[in-house]
Amino acid sequence: MKKAYNTEWVTNIAILQLAESWLAKNMLTEDQFSLVKSSFPENFYKPGIFVKIGLFIFTTVACSFCGGFLSLFILGAFDGDGGVSMVAIVLAIGFILMLEFLIKDRKLFHSGVDNALLYAGLGTMLVPFFVLFNNPPVWLSCCFALTLVIPAFLRYADLLTVFAAFVILITLIANIMMKFTLGAALVPFGIMLFSALIYFVNRKISSAYYANCQLVISTLCLITFYFGGNYYCVREGNALLNDFIGPIAPQIPFASIFYFSTLSIPILYVIFGIREKDRTLLITGLLAFAFSVFTYRYYFGFLTPEQVLTTAGISMIVFSVAVIQFLKTPKLSLTDEKMGKRKLANLEALIASQHLGQSPMEKGVEFGGGNFGGGGAGSGY
Amino acid sequence: MSVKTILADLEEKKIISSEQSSLIETYEISKPFSVHWELRSILYLGILFFTSGLGVIIYQNIDTIGHQVIIGLIAILTLFCFVYAFRNKNEFTWDEVESSNKLSEYALLLGCTAFLVMEGYLQFQYRVFGSKYGLAVFIPTVLFFFCAYFFDHRGVLSMAITGLASWLGLTIAPLSLLSGNDFTDLRIISTAIFLGVALIAVGWLTMKRDLKAHFSFTYFFLGGNLAAIASLIGLFNEGIKIMFFLSAAALSAFFIYYSRQKHALVFLLMGVIYGYIVVTYTIFNILPDDALSLIGISYFMLTSIGVIFFLLNVKKILGIKK
Repeated sequence: MKKAYNTEWVTNIAILQLAESWLAKNMLTEDQFSLVKSSFPENFYKPGIFVKIGLFIFTTVACSFCGGFLSLFILGAFDGDGGVSMVAIVLAIGFILMLEFLIKDRKLFHSGVDNALLYAGLGTMLVPFFVLFNNPPVWLSCCFALTLVIPAFLRYADLLTVFAAFVILITLIANIMMKFTLGAALVPFGIMLFSALIYFVNRKISSAYYANCQLVISTLCLITFYFGGNYYCVREGNALLNDFIGPIAPQIPFASIFYFSTLSIPILYVIFGIREKDRTLLITGLLAFAFSVFTYRYYFGFLTPEQVLTTAGISMIVFSVAVIQFLKTPKLSLTDEKMGKRKLANLEALIASQHLGQSPMEKGVEFGGGNFGGGGAGSGY
Repeated sequence: MSVKTILADLEEKKIISSEQSSLIETYEISKPFSVHWELRSILYLGILFFTSGLGVIIYQNIDTIGHQVIIGLIAILTLFCFVYAFRNKNEFTWDEVESSNKLSEYALLLGCTAFLVMEGYLQFQYRVFGSKYGLAVFIPTVLFFFCAYFFDHRGVLSMAITGLASWLGLTIAPLSLLSGNDFTDLRIISTAIFLGVALIAVGWLTMKRDLKAHFSFTYFFLGGNLAAIASLIGLFNEGIKIMFFLSAAALSAFFIYYSRQKHALVFLLMGVIYGYIVVTYTIFNILPDDALSLIGISYFMLTSIGVIFFLLNVKKILGIKK
């Protein structure tokens, strides 16, 4: 698949980033760094994250009203569903042509506009399919979506498309396996096998153009591998598949295997993450561990949610403080030193106002500690 | 492409010497793995979980556990945190202080939150402040403002601003702006606008006088969003539209102006989005209905393309260098 963005520039961005990290460590001089800059040029239009968000929002608005505008003229000319498909096809062609033109002309590089146009293009391409097959089977929809998403991912290296491709692929595999009695029993193992396979193939490939996509792939593989072996997911999923209705899902066969994998997978992730200096593994392992704690509590829990929160909080504080003290001097090739400047200090402050700073006693009942929702604070760093 | 090939490439282009290249290569292999942010995130979440859980537990068991014991324990925790933060604090300056101690800022955060829990408990159990809820909110607000400046802590500053807002009966936390405030009341709307503008003014002074200039973002962001959203809702719902139109438009213009000054593009985004809503609403409100059905769709199509063009060329149009 021919790549949409200038591959040489993409490679140069990666080289410049590395050189910048060496500059920060004083391993390159300023002069050398500017030499690197001039010998590895890149001329993409890369706005900051907020301009990107703005561009994305307004491109989405523009695309949808383009659709509305076009429908006004085309829809009336057709009877039945033909008009909708016609509008969708015209729009899809228009969006993709616009996308290609802007990438060439404005040197866009995942700048918000191109992302939105790509999604709009893919979305409109799906419409005729669903109009044609009224309520198609899952596997057919998955296959059709893949024929769109995978080429799009290969050409544009877009993060959402690679995410979609992976999710659709997993759904497809699970869906096909469930059509057979033996297959249905082995779905968790099938998912784990597939994730492991993709993970190791993905590790073998090293490409600057797809570097961020590869990160998404490996993260997703780790997550699905863990969920495939997680007791909670397997037990509840099993109950769901067998149309079980009741408060407690029935026990599953091979339960002890899943007990073991629920506990061991996160630990292995963390250990290998530290040994291989692989941040994706480490962070996924930590989050997976939290989910394992949740799994344990769900079936064997003897504490109320508040008690869990408090004990979890205390143990997290004690654990992190202990490790921070332990790593005062770097040990075991680990360090507590900040890498790079603190970029998210402002965001952290805002999170504090969202979660910690609620007033102590509105209406005299609510206590401090604030409302506790979302829980997404951790991934923000 | 790997570090090795890149180094070979640099060497070939005569940018680095071969000794330097091997030096960098050894560094890349042997450099330690930083778990700084992972540990900080666990710590931060731990504080969040602990204080949330504790608040509920105390509330539920208020009749069974000994009050004195509870108050004593939380007081000890609070005191410990403040003492720890105080003993490890840096010399006070009006600039940003890079904290030398690794834990003091988190200790301060925990201390402040524990203080809130303790105060809430005291009020609930002993009615220390009677029915003067205002005072109960005001005390931590003052304390937090003091701590924020004294220890140079942005998180505590935004807790203080939150306290100030709730003293006035408002919610300022970014994600709860709409759900937390009763914007059907004209008084709430105008209070929100005044508070927001006041916070912006404080942020402006902070920046101009160079008094903890890095705090200005927090003031601008919290105050700006509060004032802008309150103005918009006033514009939608209230009778005196012209006032709210003016304040919303002025805020949007200010955001864009400020983003140009400080290259803070989050304010550009805020200014553009709020501005777009204000202008669109006003146009649709003024024009007669017949005209609207005619221009409706093309209006959105053309204007959003216009905004995209503006954003794509924002650096040229606003003269932002960098």
